[in-house]
Amino acid sequence: MKMIWAVIRPESAQRVIRALDSAGIGGMTRLHVTGHGREMGITLGSVHYTEIPKEMLMIVVPDNEVAKAVMIIRTEAKTGAKNAPEEGIIGDGKIFVTYVEDSFPIRTAARAGGTPKA
Amino acid sequence: MKQIIAIIRDERVEETKTALEKTGVRGVTFLYVTGRGQQKGTVSAGELGSGLDRNIRMGIGGSGAVHESACPGEEKPGTFFPPEKEFAFGFLPKRMLVIIAYDEDVESVIRAIVSANQTGRHGDGRIFICPMISAIRVRTGEQGDMALS
Repeated sequence: MKMIWAVIRPESAQRVIRALDSAGIGGMTRLHVTGHGREMGITLGSVHYTEIPKEMLMIVVPDNEVAKAVMIIRTEAKTGAKNAPEEGIIGDGKIFVTYVEDSFPIRTAARAGGTPKA
Repeated sequence: MKQIIAIIRDERVEETKTALEKTGVRGVTFLYVTGRGQQKGTVSAGELGSGLDRNIRMGIGGSGAVHESACPGEEKPGTFFPPEKEFAFGFLPKRMLVIIAYDEDVESVIRAIVSANQTGRHGDGRIFICPMISAIRVRTGEQGDMALS
């Protein structure tokens, strides 16, 4: 099981969510965050912005769905033509994938390794 | 060292804090998030009228509604909703807890979160347990297990 943290443009969030949804990945958590990448923000006129609003999606999927989820986020969050890396605009975001050892709903607390007594 | 990420109901935060305090875990980070499970943020009319309803109308949650369905706010005033009628809001306001704990404390932390949040209804939230390689206390520079004690 893997946890996917995707930092994407706020304006592409809705598109990514819809696409994930139609691929059967329904559960996700959404965070409003700010940040900047290697470019250290953007300069507009004489003003330099280092805290650029972004949307962060947290999705936990089984190992065999990671590639699918990452591909959906890549396709939908990318600016410019889909298959042309050089056409994207800086700031499309990043996707991070980490390990999850265990995941279970609080409602049932049903765990793979047995239910702990509450 | 493990990272425990729990998504819980907004209105259960105080109970959770009390329960966690008893386990001896001191460090907790709370984040305001919106989220949904496989039910796509479905709420029954019986649950509306609580703080959740107000939050949704204020636009704190539900901003990402992807399912077109009747929203109670858009109906004629005075319309009666049977308690079992359900509405899909998409994303609901939730709280995310991040706790870094020693391996041996993980079970008691999970028990505390479950006991404070379990209502048996959809929307109770989820717990994720992830490996955490290290921690560093910024003030002293202590690393690893020392940073948590």
